[in-house]
Amino acid sequence: MGELNRRNFLKTLGVAGATISGIPANKLLAQSKSDLSEDRMGVLVDTTVCIGCRRCEWACKTAHDIPAGNLEDYSDESVFENMRRPANDAYTVVNRYENPADPRSPLNVKVQCMHCDHPACVSACIVGAFSKEENGAVIWDTDMCIGCRYCMVACPFQVPTFDYDKAIQPNIHKCDFCFERTKEGLLPACVEICPVEAITYGRRRNLIEVAEKRIELYPDRYVNKIYGFTEVGGTSWMYLSSRNFEELDFPKLGDKPAPGVSESIQHGIFAYFVPPIALYALLGGIMWISKNKDNKGEGKE
Amino acid sequence: MEHEFQPEQIKHKYFTPWVIVITLIALAGLAFLAVRYLFGLGAVTNLTQFFPWGIWIGLDVAAGVALAAGGFTTAALGHIWHRDKYEVLVRPALLTALLGYTFVALGVVTDIGRWYYVWHPLIMWNGNSALFEVGICVMVYLSVLYIEFLPIVTERFIGRVNLPGFLSMFNKIIDSLLRLLDRTLNKFMFVFIIAGVVLSCLHQSSLGTLMIIAGEKMHPLWQTPVLPLLFLLSAFSVGFPMVIMESLSASKSFGLKPEKDVLTSLSRFVGPILGIYLAAKIGDMFIRESFVYLTELTLPSIMFTIEIVVGVVIPLRMFLSSSVRQSTTGLYIASMLVIFGVVLNRFNNFVIAYNPPYTETSYFPSIGEISVTLGFIALEILIYRAFVMIFPIISLPVKSALRKTKYAIKGV
Amino acid sequence: MKTYIKISIILFTFLFFSFPFPAIAQDHSQLKFNCSLCHACETPTKSNPCLIVCPREKMMTVYMSPAKSPAVIKMDKLKSVQDLYEPVIFSHRIHAEMSEMSGGCEMCHHYNPPGDVVGCDNCHESGRQRTDISKPDLKGAYHRQCMDCHQEWSNNVACESCHETNESGKSAYTVKDYQQTRVHPEIKVPTKLVYNTTHEKGKLVTFFHNEHTDIYGLDCKSCHQQESCAKCHSTEPEKKVEKVSLEVKHKNCSSCHDTKVKTGCASCHSSKEMAPFNHLARSGFNLKSYHSKLNCTSCHQSKSVFTGLNSSCQSCHSEWNSSNFNHKVTGLILDEMHVEFDCGDCHESEDYSKKPSCEGCHDDMTYPANKPGKLVK
Repeated sequence: MGELNRRNFLKTLGVAGATISGIPANKLLAQSKSDLSEDRMGVLVDTTVCIGCRRCEWACKTAHDIPAGNLEDYSDESVFENMRRPANDAYTVVNRYENPADPRSPLNVKVQCMHCDHPACVSACIVGAFSKEENGAVIWDTDMCIGCRYCMVACPFQVPTFDYDKAIQPNIHKCDFCFERTKEGLLPACVEICPVEAITYGRRRNLIEVAEKRIELYPDRYVNKIYGFTEVGGTSWMYLSSRNFEELDFPKLGDKPAPGVSESIQHGIFAYFVPPIALYALLGGIMWISKNKDNKGEGKE
Repeated sequence: MEHEFQPEQIKHKYFTPWVIVITLIALAGLAFLAVRYLFGLGAVTNLTQFFPWGIWIGLDVAAGVALAAGGFTTAALGHIWHRDKYEVLVRPALLTALLGYTFVALGVVTDIGRWYYVWHPLIMWNGNSALFEVGICVMVYLSVLYIEFLPIVTERFIGRVNLPGFLSMFNKIIDSLLRLLDRTLNKFMFVFIIAGVVLSCLHQSSLGTLMIIAGEKMHPLWQTPVLPLLFLLSAFSVGFPMVIMESLSASKSFGLKPEKDVLTSLSRFVGPILGIYLAAKIGDMFIRESFVYLTELTLPSIMFTIEIVVGVVIPLRMFLSSSVRQSTTGLYIASMLVIFGVVLNRFNNFVIAYNPPYTETSYFPSIGEISVTLGFIALEILIYRAFVMIFPIISLPVKSALRKTKYAIKGV
Repeated sequence: MKTYIKISIILFTFLFFSFPFPAIAQDHSQLKFNCSLCHACETPTKSNPCLIVCPREKMMTVYMSPAKSPAVIKMDKLKSVQDLYEPVIFSHRIHAEMSEMSGGCEMCHHYNPPGDVVGCDNCHESGRQRTDISKPDLKGAYHRQCMDCHQEWSNNVACESCHETNESGKSAYTVKDYQQTRVHPEIKVPTKLVYNTTHEKGKLVTFFHNEHTDIYGLDCKSCHQQESCAKCHSTEPEKKVEKVSLEVKHKNCSSCHDTKVKTGCASCHSSKEMAPFNHLARSGFNLKSYHSKLNCTSCHQSKSVFTGLNSSCQSCHSEWNSSNFNHKVTGLILDEMHVEFDCGDCHESEDYSKKPSCEGCHDDMTYPANKPGKLVK
C-alpha cells in the first residue's frame, strides 16, 4: 500500500477519532504556524574536530551556576568509558566514539539540547513554560512549570531532566543555549571556550552553507549528512561526522516536526470550539427528542 | 417493570473484616504519600530521567479516567436518551465517577513535581498541549460532577437539617437555602449533564493524544494517530461493565438482591461497543502493518496479545452470549475482563509501550508507587462505602406504595 | 593635429598606469608557480586579485629553511584578561625541523602569498563572534594546528600540556629553555632496509634508502608526507594494522614503480636480499664516464615511472651533428681529414657502441687497427 494512501487513511481515522461530529478536515491537517526567525542562530558541531577536552562542560556549569570543580579535573578521560547523558548538574556532556578510519583520532560527540525548530517540549508543556525564542533558543520558565514532566516524555532526544530529589520547587534542567548570555551579546559559554572551535556559532542558514561546503570539500572526511538539518523539522544545533550518526547514538528520526500529529489532532478537536459545541447541540437535540418520546410513551403505558 | 425503585441510604455495618483489610492498605498508601510530599518523588518512585512517567500516570490517572467512564455513559443513556429503566444505575455511576475523578486529580497532584502549582493551567494556557486539554477538561468535568451530585445532598438534608446546640437556630435558614438550591439546580441540571458528556468525550480522547507526541519512543504496536479514537472507544466500552461490576459488588457486599434485570439489559450494549473498539484496533494494526511485531516474542508483543485476547476478544464473546448475560457470575466475570483489558491498555500505552532511547534499564514500579496506587483505590472503596450509607445512592425496591419518587430523576 | 594629441594622451596614460606595475610584476615574475595556484581568474589585478576562496590549502610561495626560522614564538595575539591560561611559548624551530621530515612548512603555513611569511591572524579573525564563519577563528585555527599531531602523538590534549594556568603566573616553557637547549636531534637516515613481506614468491624487499635520496633525488616529503608525528613520537605501541589492500601497502612505491602489473613483483620482491642498484644489470645500458655522473631525471624525464629509454644516442642527443659534436669526449680526436665527415659516414648503424666502419672509403682498413685520429688519455 502506498505510504500516501495509508497516511491519508490514518488522517481520516484521526478525524473520526478526534471528534464525533464532522469537522473540517483541513483544520485537522493544518500544521502549526511557523513564526521562526530567518536570522535564528544555531551551532554546527564538527565531531571530527572536537578533541574531547570537555572544557565546554566546565564552561557550561560555570555559566549556569552549577558547581563545576577544578578545570584540571576535566582532562580525566576515564569518563569516556561510559556513555553519559545530560543531567541535572550537567547540561552538556561529551561522549567519545571510536573512529575506525583513524583509530588515533576518536570522534567526540558533544550532547545537549538540540533546540528544535518545532520543539516537542514547547508543544507538549501543559502551561506553556517552554518557548522557542527568536534567536533559536528553546528555554524553560521556572515560574510557570508545574513539574508534570510531559516535556521529558515528548522530547525525541531525551534531553530535559528533572529534580526527583527535591520535594519543593523541583526544576526541569536542560541547555538553554545560554539565553541570558546571548541576550547580552555574549557567546554561549561552550562556544566561547572551545579551543578548536569544533562548535561554530552563527546563523542557522549560514551554518548549513558552511556544513555543505565542508562535506563537498572533504568527502572522505564526512558522511554526506548534516544531522539536524531536517530531523524533526530541523534543529538549531547540527552535527557533522565521519561515521553514520546511528553509530554515534543519534536517534533515527523522520523529517516531520515531532509535535505535528498531536497538534493536528488537538487543533482538530478544538477547531474554534466548533466540534465540542456541535456535539453539545447534538446531545441536547437527542435529549429533547427522547424526552418528548418518553412522555408520549408514558401516556401509552 | 415489576417494582418501583427508590434510592435510599444503605443501612449496614461499616466495618467488616474485608473493610479493615482495605483500610490497612489505604493507610500504607497514605504513609508512602507522606514520604513523597516530604522528600520528593525520588524518595518513593522508581522514576528516572528516562522514564518520567510511571504507574501514577499510567494507572491512577489514565486508567482512573477510563474506569470513571461509567459516569458519563450511564448519564448519557439515562438522561440524554431517557432510558428510565437505567435510572437506578445513574447515581452509583455518578458517585463512582465523582470519586474516580477526585482520585485522578489527587493522582495528578501527587505525580507532578510542584503540586502547589496545580492551578497554573487555569491561567496559563497552551492550546497545543494534549495534556492541557486533559487537565482543563478534567478540572471542569470534576466541577460538573460535584454539581451533578448536589441534588443528592439536598435530597438527603432537605427537611432533615438538625444542627446541634445553638447552631440549631440556623436550621431553618439552611433548609430554605437547600430548597432554593434544589429548585435552581433542577432547572439547569440538563446543561451540566450534557456538558459532562461532552467534556468526557473530549478528554477521554485527548488522553489518547498524550502519548502521540512521544513519537518513535513509543512501541509501534500502540503508537498510532488514531490513539484518541481508540481511547474514546475503549472508554465507551468500559463504562457499562464498570457499572455492572460496581452494582454487583455493592449488592454482594451489602447483602442485597442484584438488580439483574437492569444489568442484563444494560449488558446488551457492551458487545457492540466492544466490537467496534476491537474492529478499530485490529483495523489500525493492519493498516499500519504493525502486526509484524507480534511475530516476535517480546514483552510488548505478549502484553499486546493479552490486552486484545483476554481484555477484548473473550469478554466480547461473553457479552454476545445471552446465557452469560443472564447469569450474575457470567456478567461479573465478563465485566471484570473488560475492565482488566482497558486498565491493561492504559498501562501498556503509558508504561510498556514507552521505550526511551539511551537506557538499557527499564521501569518497574517501586513498592511505594504500588502502595500509593493501591491506597488510592482502597480509599475510593472506603469513601464509596461511606457515601452510600450517608446519601441515597443505591436504589432499593419501594415496599410501601407504588409512587413515582420526587428526586429519582434529576435534571429534565 | 587632434589625432596626434589623442595618441600622445593615450600613450601618456598607458605609460603612467603601467609604470607602477613592473615592481609587483617583477615580484611575481620571480615565482615558478602557476598563476592559478592563487588566482581564480585569468588576469588578476591589484584591485581585484580574485584570490581563491578558503580553504587555501597548500598555497605556498615562500619557503625558508628551519635553521633560519625563528626558534621560539610567543603566541600572545589572543591574550585577554579573562584568559584561563598563559600564552603558549611555541618552539617553532623544532617543529619546523620535524615538519621537514613529513609535510614541510605547509603543514601549518598552508597559505602564504609572495612576500613575507604571514601569520595565522592574517586570515583567521581573532574574534569568535564574526560574520564569516566559513573558516575557524584564530583560537580555533591555532589549536587545530597543534591538536592533530598532539592527539596522535601523545593522545594528550590537556590544556596544561602546552599552557600554564594563569594563577601560577608563568608559562609551561620559557623562551630560554628552547633557545639554549632544545634542538631536534639529528635524524639518522638508514642506507638499507629489508622488509619481510607476505609475498610468496619473494618475501624480501630490499630498500636502499640512500639510493632513493641520493641518486633519485627524493626529499623526505616525497615519501613521508602523509606520516604523522606519531610515526616517530608515539607513546603507545603501534596497533596491529588490519588487513589492507595491496594498493595501500604499495602506496609509497607506486608513485615511481609500477606496482599494479603482476609481472612487476620481481623487480622488488625477491627470496634473497638484493644488490644495490646497478644500471647495467637492470637495463643493459652501462653508465660510463659522462652518464654515470648524471642525475637519473636528466635522462628519465617522465616524472612518474622510470621506463626504459631507447639506447641510441640520437634519442637523447638528437641535436648533435659532426659540426657541433666534440669527438674528443669519446677518447679520440679526429684528424683533419675525418673531422669533415658526417657522423653516419663512419657510424653506419645508429648504435654508436658498435665499431665504426671504414669501408665507405678505405677497402683495406678496419677499426680499431687503423684509427681516424689520435687517442687521448
